[in-house]
Amino acid sequence: MTQAQQTEHVLVIPTTEAIVLPFDGAPRLPTLAGTRLGIIDDSKRNADVLLEELSEVLRTRYEISDVQWLRKPSASKPADPVELKELVEKCDSVVIAIGD
Amino acid sequence: MANLGDTTVGRWSDVFEAVERCYELGWSDGLPALPPTEYRVSQFLDYVGRDPSEIVGEISERRREISVGKVAANAVMAGCLPEYLPVVLAATEAMLAPEFNLVGPSSSMGGSAILSIVNGPIVQELNINSRNNLFGPGNRANATIGRAVRLILMNACATIPGLFDRSVIGHPGKYTYCIAEAETETHWTALHVERGFSPEQSAVTTFAGEAPRQVRSTGKPVAILYAIADAASALGTSLSTSGSVGNKEQGVRQGEIVVTISGDSNLWKDWSKQQVRQYLQANIHRSVADLKQAQVFPGDLEPGDDERYISLVPEPEDVLLIFAGGEESNMASVIPSWGPKVASTAVTKEIKVPGK
Repeated sequence: MTQAQQTEHVLVIPTTEAIVLPFDGAPRLPTLAGTRLGIIDDSKRNADVLLEELSEVLRTRYEISDVQWLRKPSASKPADPVELKELVEKCDSVVIAIGD
Repeated sequence: MANLGDTTVGRWSDVFEAVERCYELGWSDGLPALPPTEYRVSQFLDYVGRDPSEIVGEISERRREISVGKVAANAVMAGCLPEYLPVVLAATEAMLAPEFNLVGPSSSMGGSAILSIVNGPIVQELNINSRNNLFGPGNRANATIGRAVRLILMNACATIPGLFDRSVIGHPGKYTYCIAEAETETHWTALHVERGFSPEQSAVTTFAGEAPRQVRSTGKPVAILYAIADAASALGTSLSTSGSVGNKEQGVRQGEIVVTISGDSNLWKDWSKQQVRQYLQANIHRSVADLKQAQVFPGDLEPGDDERYISLVPEPEDVLLIFAGGEESNMASVIPSWGPKVASTAVTKEIKVPGK
């Protein structure tokens, strides 16, 4: 049996590509001493335990001056933009972590 | 022909090579898929009369926008007819609504699938199954509409197993998960009407759910509801576990639940949907003793723990009750939600049928 001749077809690509907009990272802090730390707790189990310990370490070893805490209502939802803006105004750096 | 977006070329001499080409391109859910040729996708778009570049919604966490054209291409691959595309578009719009929070149920370790529940005149027009073998095989509309939703998730929303989809055990409903309510065969108010639409409208409700748990029960309505509530109160569901919720007061996640009830609707002539919902919400609960035994709650057992109950469904309205399934027997099912309401809420969208 001879092989049938192939025909050419235009296919619509069903997949998508990520649209990644350029952004500039925040400048690094020269020191943590005397700066204000923000923490975003994602509300996963034990995230608070981990982050409380971390903030204590940063307070005692790196002399951060203040800790602001933001707890998300659900681990799978992004933080509220208004609350994020407030956190940025109150803090010099922010730690975002996921626990489980 | 309208601009259908990015295209590529496929060459084949027979149907087997065509199907293999889709596998090679990584566009399949594991089953053979039909090639989304420009010609066939155009047929679908012509039916709905919509611009392929129109954005249906986005999944911002993955930086992706989902266009009408992408939905149509995946519907072709799933084996849909052009007439099914309005349902698939509405389901896509619903699962991309902010309150559905698609990134949660489509990424989570918890095994969930996106259930589509169709209501309204389109159920009859497209012959979407609402009776025997409700969740089973054998009906093109159910099989291909549900499959199209999954292909859109995988191809257009990047919900790729092992990559963004981190489900530990998966879910058979991830191949297809689409049902209809047998609303013409019951006095109960149709789900979409309860959720704000008119009986003349068609609508689809999307719900991030676990697998259906069959409930075999016979007798009077209250006996059937007793068994349904018991099955819905199981340990190990998302509703009866803790964690991932900012508000710790309740101790368990809670969430919505879909309940299907089949059989002879006359059995329920003295019950409204609201009465059924109220009964179920009040009785879908678990004792503190059980929750402690399963270490959902911390601490040792204390006197009275086995008499104190924790509700697993917040409000009667969080029971999405539909009359569906075969008429042969009073068989029910319960489908707990993937997560708490704060993480994902069922969404209903109108199905816009061309010319209506």
